[in-house]
Amino acid sequence: MNPDFRKQPPAPLAPIPFEILRPFETTLSNGLRVVIFENERLPLVSYRLSFFSGDIDESENEHGLMSAMALLLTEGTENYSSQQLAEKIERLGAGLSAHSSFDFTSISASSLSFYTSAIFEMLSEIVLKPTFPENEIDLYRRNLLENLKFQRSQPPFLAGEQAARLIYGKHPYSHVSLQPKDVEGITREKLRATHRAALIPNNAVMLIVGDVRRDEVIKELEQHLDGWESGEAPKRSFAEVPTRQQRSITVVDRPGSSQSNIVIANSGLDRLSPDFFPALVMNQVLGAGASSRVFMNLREEKGYTYGAYTRMDARSLAGDIEATAEVRNDVTGESISEFFKEFERIRSERVGSDELLDAQNFLTGVFPIRAETQEGLTTLLLNRELYGLPDDYLQTYREKVSAVTAEQVQDAAQKYIRPDEMAIVVVGDAESVVPQINKFAPTVEVFDTDGKLVESK
Amino acid sequence: MPHSFKLPPLTLEQFTLGNGLRVVLDRDDAIPVVSLAVYYDVGSRNERDDRTGFAHLFEHMMFQGSENVPKAGHFQYIMKAGGTMNGTTSSERTNYFETLPANQLPLGLWLESDRMRSLAVTQENLDNQREAVKEEKRLRYDNQPYGQIFDLISAMIYKNFANAHSTIGSMDHLDAASVEDVQEFFRIYYAPNNAVLVLSGAFDPAEAKELIEKFFGDIPSQPRSPAIDVEEPEEVAANYSEWQDPLAPFPAFLIGWKTPKRGSEEFKALYLAGKVLYDGDSSRLYQKLVKGEESVIQLFGFTDERRGPSSIFVGAIPKPDEDISAIRETIMNEIRDLAVHGPTPSEMEKIENQLLNDAVRTRQSSLARTQQLAEFALYDNDPCLFNAELDGLLNVTAEQIRLNVAKFLNTENRALLDVVPAKQPA
Repeated sequence: MNPDFRKQPPAPLAPIPFEILRPFETTLSNGLRVVIFENERLPLVSYRLSFFSGDIDESENEHGLMSAMALLLTEGTENYSSQQLAEKIERLGAGLSAHSSFDFTSISASSLSFYTSAIFEMLSEIVLKPTFPENEIDLYRRNLLENLKFQRSQPPFLAGEQAARLIYGKHPYSHVSLQPKDVEGITREKLRATHRAALIPNNAVMLIVGDVRRDEVIKELEQHLDGWESGEAPKRSFAEVPTRQQRSITVVDRPGSSQSNIVIANSGLDRLSPDFFPALVMNQVLGAGASSRVFMNLREEKGYTYGAYTRMDARSLAGDIEATAEVRNDVTGESISEFFKEFERIRSERVGSDELLDAQNFLTGVFPIRAETQEGLTTLLLNRELYGLPDDYLQTYREKVSAVTAEQVQDAAQKYIRPDEMAIVVVGDAESVVPQINKFAPTVEVFDTDGKLVESK
Repeated sequence: MPHSFKLPPLTLEQFTLGNGLRVVLDRDDAIPVVSLAVYYDVGSRNERDDRTGFAHLFEHMMFQGSENVPKAGHFQYIMKAGGTMNGTTSSERTNYFETLPANQLPLGLWLESDRMRSLAVTQENLDNQREAVKEEKRLRYDNQPYGQIFDLISAMIYKNFANAHSTIGSMDHLDAASVEDVQEFFRIYYAPNNAVLVLSGAFDPAEAKELIEKFFGDIPSQPRSPAIDVEEPEEVAANYSEWQDPLAPFPAFLIGWKTPKRGSEEFKALYLAGKVLYDGDSSRLYQKLVKGEESVIQLFGFTDERRGPSSIFVGAIPKPDEDISAIRETIMNEIRDLAVHGPTPSEMEKIENQLLNDAVRTRQSSLARTQQLAEFALYDNDPCLFNAELDGLLNVTAEQIRLNVAKFLNTENRALLDVVPAKQPA
């Protein structure tokens, strides 16, 4: 056997094409948009009922109502107590939950396809007939207060809280945590008002993926969601994302911490920006995985960290780009220095064709893997709906990635990686960290883990 | 109705190469992807007592290049091909896996075979990965509230050093590792006769066989790795311990019990008992503690499934000012009830549907199938057990659950770890 065949990576076999077909779409008599993707591969169904109302649509002084409303939907309805609902769902081996995010509120379910009727019944029950029992609200509030304290022991949360404040300013995307007074403000009356305003059929989409028959689905939905009244979609008009003028350093002091959690961020783009694909490819090159520049630098070359990455978060109204790493204390300064070297490099040097192709090949090649499981496919289909992406988005995604040029990547880097104004956040032992990093910015603030400012220079 | 639904069995092909590598092929053309897994029969249970953390450190080394693959090339080749990959180390084994577009099967086989035959063990690679592992230890264990509890309670459950020590290992042992140690470890454990290779997904079996023979066939086998002893007495090693955690915001506790090994009738019954006790909002302990008494912030439970003696755990983070011993009393009362009356018919129906749901979900992921098949191939020498597993669990009766809860959980033979928030030194 000639070992020469090992010297180079072997050629691939013939490619097997893969396409995601367009789903079936319709609108119910109550105004609800329904999207159905039939797939008989396995007796499994995934359901998503998503509303275009989220945490940002709360009133300016009241936070936590949308998430409370969503989480309490499954804690009591006209026909089921919290325990009865849990028992009914779990007896079917199924899952049913609701949660809110910045831009949306979603109800998710999954089950074996034998139980589709029961799932529709329970979905309509929690959407149309939640009762928000007082004892459940009380328990929720008490648990939430404890969980807020728990959050403050988690370095990633502490870093994220500061980064959001610095990047988003007065824009509602800056609210990532609640204060105890917000929790006290959660009342049954407000929850019911929030529910009435947000969970309306004309501002929502229902996605069903799996072993179903569309005619049966439509019939069941019409029946179970009969009488669901429309309402007014929320108007979204918020403060601008601030324009930063200079770098800043913010340290959250966690004395005795054996690592520094570093987050370096600036504002980015919204999901529908025409820069999306160039920025996506740029982010892939810079820090999106284990062969990216920041990972190879900070971990593979320097051994500073278990993982260094950059992440692009493009939401409905705005977005941000964040570089992160958890590094040992004594190399906090060097790690930040290396991050800035990589930021400068991707801005000033046009990416080579090999590296560009590698990034594009990852994004296009991994596409079928993302769609392999039903949950993965559901996520892809749901995102198209939520962000109002073009009808043929999933069918043209790969060609759009492949069309990005090196010049566009550099333009995206210069536009969205802006070292001169980045917010540098470090959660760690302030005494050892501040002296290492105060050279990176003109100002340094130190906070405690409760979010209180301790020192400012 | 679930009773009449039968999940079709996987059609598996298996063969063994001349050098002892066991191969399993699971073809499914539904999506044009393929997952590969190589499982090596080495985990923390095989480690010398002055070289803890070695199996896991070695896992990191496996991504640092081989004769024909440059340092960190494994990550890069996979990503360029549009794939995902990772590796993990446990007490039982070290695994390496990737999912690729189907036409990149040769790349996956090339990468796995090149590192199996010719890993580049150098001082530089060792030093670099040692640092990454130390940061991983800090990230996951040392710098996390409650990060240590799993390792602490394992040391309380198991008396045998092989079972009791942590997979991440000690910083001192990691620092003491030499290049020669790593090269020796490679020679002994990373041999084809000490491994299984599994493919799941879209491929042509004849073509796959040819490629596997081409890439793996000439890797020489090695003498059998040293036998180990993972025997345990019935008793846990320690009944009580308190851990002062400077990062914990609240007290917490974890109760652990020793159980018979994975695959045994006893372990299966206890796994299902766990579902009844702590899995989901309708579980007994969730309803009793989170909802009824409203005394805990978080409740958790899990099994640690091993080829030898295994374990099961229940723990909670109580709310401030709650009587912690009363919470534990509630847990033991529920266990006692389950030991006397067994699960209800409603709970048995839940178990049946959950098991079916889990099996159907696993079936759709080539990576999940690959990993489960590799376990059965490596641990039991029989990947066809994959097809028997669901029925084996569905056949467990309420009475068997009751009996095993009575025997193994409703007992003083358990370990209790109390976690107490500790103040920072001034």
